Amino acid sequence: MASNMKAVKLRIKSVQSTMQITKAMELVASSKLRKAKERADLCRPYFKELYGTLQDIAETNLDFTSVYTKPTESTVCCYVVIAGDRGLAGGYNSNMFKRVEEEMKGKEYVVLPIGKKAVEYYKRRKATILTESFAEIADISVSDCFEIANVLCQGYRGKEFGSIELCYTEFVSMLSQAPKVYPMLPLSGVAENGEEERRKNRNLILYEPDAQTVFDAIVPEYLAGLVYGGVCDSVASELAARRNAMEAATDNAEEMIEKLNLHYNRARQASITQEITEIVGGAEGL
Amino acid sequence: MATFPLRIGTPDGLLYEGEAERIVCRTITGDLAILAGHINYCTALGMGEAHVVLEDGTVRNAACIGGMLTVIGGSVHVLATTWEWEENIDEERAKEARRKAEEMIAKGGLSDHDYAIVQAKLQRALVRLSVKQ
Repeated sequence: MASNMKAVKLRIKSVQSTMQITKAMELVASSKLRKAKERADLCRPYFKELYGTLQDIAETNLDFTSVYTKPTESTVCCYVVIAGDRGLAGGYNSNMFKRVEEEMKGKEYVVLPIGKKAVEYYKRRKATILTESFAEIADISVSDCFEIANVLCQGYRGKEFGSIELCYTEFVSMLSQAPKVYPMLPLSGVAENGEEERRKNRNLILYEPDAQTVFDAIVPEYLAGLVYGGVCDSVASELAARRNAMEAATDNAEEMIEKLNLHYNRARQASITQEITEIVGGAEGL
Repeated sequence: MATFPLRIGTPDGLLYEGEAERIVCRTITGDLAILAGHINYCTALGMGEAHVVLEDGTVRNAACIGGMLTVIGGSVHVLATTWEWEENIDEERAKEARRKAEEMIAKGGLSDHDYAIVQAKLQRALVRLSVKQ
């Protein structure tokens, strides 16, 4: 009985120290989350505006002189997958990969992973990786996004792949984050409506000096802007997911400690009762 | 004068949303002014000063670096990489950046890639300073 008590006591201690860690992680995540959320909130209007504007252009555009606007023959698709640097964030990373997996089914693809977990995952799966230089999502800045955009544009122009999709986790609220896949290039794939609809509401856009020059200048910035928006949202989502996961873990640990304490007290009571019975039994024998 | 809805956005947030009378900014081919009733239009922005004339006639100056300008259905969207209103520009920092960039160029021995970066830094500093003056 005594050994049982000792085991329970040890177990309580270990759960307590785990709880300390999860509690600390929760606090760290929530303080980081505040900053990340501010950044995501600031960036979101730009992201929406940028995507909306390009969608408008794609819907009314009838100019296919630029390499970025015409549909391509290449069937290879490039996925820019944004995931976290670390685990212990609930289903954050695995939800993203599952969503992308659905999208990739039956397609030829290359991947540009952002975040350590994404790099590891696609290395393990032996997918073709465009570049691994953006493994740390935590310190990706606007200028890094321009570099990513340059890499993507080069590949696209070099016909390494025929379309680009952005996979990131949208920050819906503190409690819910949704993995999303957005088409980025070619622009004809960005339009929401079909060919028919597009013909109906066509109104010409004047490009100055000409469409090709304008698209050549705009597209890298557009890609950089979208990737940056995706990164901001994903970072906020990751922290929110981690905070929720850690909060749940702390709650579970508390519950467990309560149960173990009950066990411990029962065991203690039982051993005392046993001792009394033994003493009383011994006294009667005298 | 007639006005048009204008939105100016950067990765650091939506900087302006409302009616404006006129917007002037530098595109890749030169300065451009947009008035109300413009046809659908799309161009890429260069580096330079920009001015926005508001509904009440006040003029706001800004430094505008890279991005795109579109007019769709009469409303104007400016999506810039950098857009700083005159009052938000840190003159000291820009001067410091200009000094550093000039030093780097004077010292020489830069690779092509580094040279392009320094050149861009210098240009950005110059644009900011010219808006301030």
